[in-house]
Amino acid sequence: MMREEPWQTAEVCGPTKAQGIKKPAVVGALLKKAKHPLLVVGSQALTENTGKKSMIDYFIEFSTAAKIPIVATANTITAFKEKGFDNAYSYGAMEITGRLQDHDWMVASKKGPHDLVMTYGFPYYMEWLMLSALINFSPHIKTVSLGRYYQPHATWSFPNLKKQNWNDALKEILTLSGGSK
Amino acid sequence: MTEQKRARLKADKLDTGFGSFRNIEVTIGKVIDDDWDEPMGPTPMPDVTTLRSWDHKLLTRYRPAYMPACQLCCLCTFGKCDLTSGKRGACGLDIEGQSARIVLAAANIGCAAHLAHSRHMVDYMIHEFGPRFELSQGDGVEIEAPVSRLVTGIRPRTLEDASAILDYCETQLTHTLSAVATGQEGSWIDFESKAFHVGMIDQVGMEIADLAQISTLGFPQSDPDAPLIEAGISSMDPKKAMILAIGHNVVPATYIMDYASETGVSDNIDIAGICCTAWDISRYDAKTKIVGPISWQLRFVRAGFADVVVVDEQCIRTDILEHAKKVNSPVIATCDKSTMGLPDRTDDDVDDIVKDLVSGKTPGVYIRDHEKIGEVVVKTAIKMHPKRKKKGSLPSKAKMQELAQACRQCSECVRSCPNDQPVMDAVLAAAEGNFEPLADVYDECIGCARCESACPNEYDLHSWMVKAAEGRWKQESFMVRSGRGAIKDTEIRTVGQPIVFGEIPGVIAHVGCANYPDGGRAIHDHAEEFAKRRFIVVFSGCAAMTVGAIKDEEGKSIYERRPGTFDAGSVLNVGSCVANSHIAGAAIKIANIFAKRNLRGNYEEIADYIHNRVGAVGISWGAMSQKAASIAAGFWRLGVPVIVGPHGTKYRRMLLGRADKPEDWMVWDARTGDRVQVAAGPEHLFYAVENLEELMVMTAKLAIRPNDTAKGRAIKLSHYIDLHETYKGYFPDDVHTYIRRETDIPITIKDKIKAQMKENKWQEKPIPDPTLVRRLVYGGNGGGK
Repeated sequence: MMREEPWQTAEVCGPTKAQGIKKPAVVGALLKKAKHPLLVVGSQALTENTGKKSMIDYFIEFSTAAKIPIVATANTITAFKEKGFDNAYSYGAMEITGRLQDHDWMVASKKGPHDLVMTYGFPYYMEWLMLSALINFSPHIKTVSLGRYYQPHATWSFPNLKKQNWNDALKEILTLSGGSK
Repeated sequence: MTEQKRARLKADKLDTGFGSFRNIEVTIGKVIDDDWDEPMGPTPMPDVTTLRSWDHKLLTRYRPAYMPACQLCCLCTFGKCDLTSGKRGACGLDIEGQSARIVLAAANIGCAAHLAHSRHMVDYMIHEFGPRFELSQGDGVEIEAPVSRLVTGIRPRTLEDASAILDYCETQLTHTLSAVATGQEGSWIDFESKAFHVGMIDQVGMEIADLAQISTLGFPQSDPDAPLIEAGISSMDPKKAMILAIGHNVVPATYIMDYASETGVSDNIDIAGICCTAWDISRYDAKTKIVGPISWQLRFVRAGFADVVVVDEQCIRTDILEHAKKVNSPVIATCDKSTMGLPDRTDDDVDDIVKDLVSGKTPGVYIRDHEKIGEVVVKTAIKMHPKRKKKGSLPSKAKMQELAQACRQCSECVRSCPNDQPVMDAVLAAAEGNFEPLADVYDECIGCARCESACPNEYDLHSWMVKAAEGRWKQESFMVRSGRGAIKDTEIRTVGQPIVFGEIPGVIAHVGCANYPDGGRAIHDHAEEFAKRRFIVVFSGCAAMTVGAIKDEEGKSIYERRPGTFDAGSVLNVGSCVANSHIAGAAIKIANIFAKRNLRGNYEEIADYIHNRVGAVGISWGAMSQKAASIAAGFWRLGVPVIVGPHGTKYRRMLLGRADKPEDWMVWDARTGDRVQVAAGPEHLFYAVENLEELMVMTAKLAIRPNDTAKGRAIKLSHYIDLHETYKGYFPDDVHTYIRRETDIPITIKDKIKAQMKENKWQEKPIPDPTLVRRLVYGGNGGGK
């Protein structure tokens, strides 16, 4: 099921659609090029895992290795705080979507803008709309959807993947960012 | 603009030079309502741009954040136009303008639905009761139509006044609708302003509709002890003929109830409703029953309960006829807005119509005559009942198991489910004889049936869920409180001051549809949490039903546990969708009764008062419709923040404040004329939360207002901090921004807050008499610093 088509079948978009991430090296290259990347992690990360690793542990490792701050939406912040991780910041999903449209804004009051935003952990339709906001109103930002299902409004997205393929891809991205396998 | 009232002469008998007349009524032009001594404010009957500057103030602070569902425009033959990457369409509109245009289109549609309902209601009531029939919300309500008074400057005292107000509303809707046409409005901010305008008009239209039906149909009149009503599927008596009424317009159903009563067959039939008609039939007759919210249509019809299905208007499944056919339930369409392709049998003999329906010669009919509807429905139900013997269309478990074994495992059912429910896994479990997963999906299902439309094997998946959960819904019985109508002036006198001072920390209004992301329990838990914290919790529409479905250990619903007064810790139901206007009305009456601000044609001042002082928060956890969009728009113009559940992102536009930009939070101090910075409260005007946890925290935060007294601010902060610590797991880092003086600090958490204040170099701030409107500075146009 390696198709680049919306997971929720009616969520088709306009003339532009995300390029499929066929090799995780694409994400590695984007990370290398980005000056101010950001991870935006939604509440599904609280219950999902990749392989034997919880998504929270995965993102802590990813963030630490690649030196990328995390915005944790809704109650997702609780898990990062509980694990003593201090590079996570709390914003609502709509708040961060709005803030990222401001060219001058960057998380933790640093000088912006963010130029690469990676998303994970939202209801499919919600992430679809968040990415639509960014593709239309934040032309300075490239977006990468890290979920299992194709998000056409991202700049780059995985196609719809089987769980094992997705696990493998995430593992490789972690390795490319300097984290453990 | 004040000359809106026609003078009428009425005479039983009149002898003139050219004849003698009986029962005549003559209209002599228009006269002013000159016995209302409240002075007329500056904006009676505002047109589309009268309040534009107020809208722009709000829209500058709460800048729209668009999330287009589509990057194209396909509304005219210039197009399709590609609006990506800053491109403009052939008409000149860019993606921002187009997105705002969609917002206005949705608000127009929603307003039109309510307004047409209101127009039907008022015209019908005039026909039945005469134009001079007096309107009333009951004892204890002298300000009986605060929204209409505020917007139009008219005090509607008769049905004729109500009709004149609707004339104004219809004109405004025509203008805002026209602005959506290609080649009209081009600015996002003015599309948005017009959406606010039509939202305000919607509140007037809803108020008139409910005022008309409350006054004429014997509904509870501002009654905190409105009767408790049996609800839930198992509250139906299978021994009785069952009439199901779906929609929003109660008028046809009243004729059914009256006919049943007049012919002595009431004890032989159950009349039950789905969606807002359910509330309004219960307000007409407390013996009627409530099936549940809009999303329960399909499950109830397919389970075969209904011997007749009656549809009026709004929130009807448009394919209800197809589903009813499968269970031999005749459908009677009663409203010109939803005739379902059925033959118009208005002029036919009742017995002929009944015969055709009972024999199955026709699956349904459209009837315009209310009296005939009453007779046809009751007679048909009684004849169908023994014939149908509750014929359902639910499959047997054995059949389901057999079919499930042929599942193609294509995932199309999951991919079509709005809530990503694990339908396919549940089907595969059923193939093994385990039906519990399907029953679990039923608990979360919103009843859209998209899964079965998508299934290549054409499985009736929704019916499978209903069958699998049969043991659950057969126990589904609970009590809900019928709609009370408006809030009494006397109640406002009691709570006005503590609300404005912040000592009652807020008014939470749970409004609207049942497109929940995770079943209905969330709104119950939210309501209980905030009622415990002494907020006033108000419900309306489908949310008001769902909240009652959750029972405590003693089997009591929230309505049985908590009083229905408008007071701290209460949980009250105002009624159907059109009763939403009473929630806005309560906020308006606080400004009038407690603060002595004039209402009459004085929109901007009252909205400014509410925005800065009344800690009201609207919530629509399952907002689905364009009507919900227009209802929200009405609250936005009043400056009341609205929170929606995650599906609310599909409204494609938030109104977000920027707490990190102090320059966005400047107000005038009405006492001194100085420009003063206040904390970000309410921080947002329209916000979609991701889950219940975020809703809990956001609700408490959005109840904060610049005018809170020290005691009130401390109370509100203590709730915000406590909920933040509970649901986000840490002490919020923005508390210091809400502390103006040390007296604002909640005493029990003083040390933590003071440490944060010190860390952030906190300085004392003035507490202004806040206003966004410079002309409201005492003594003139400000002139302070």
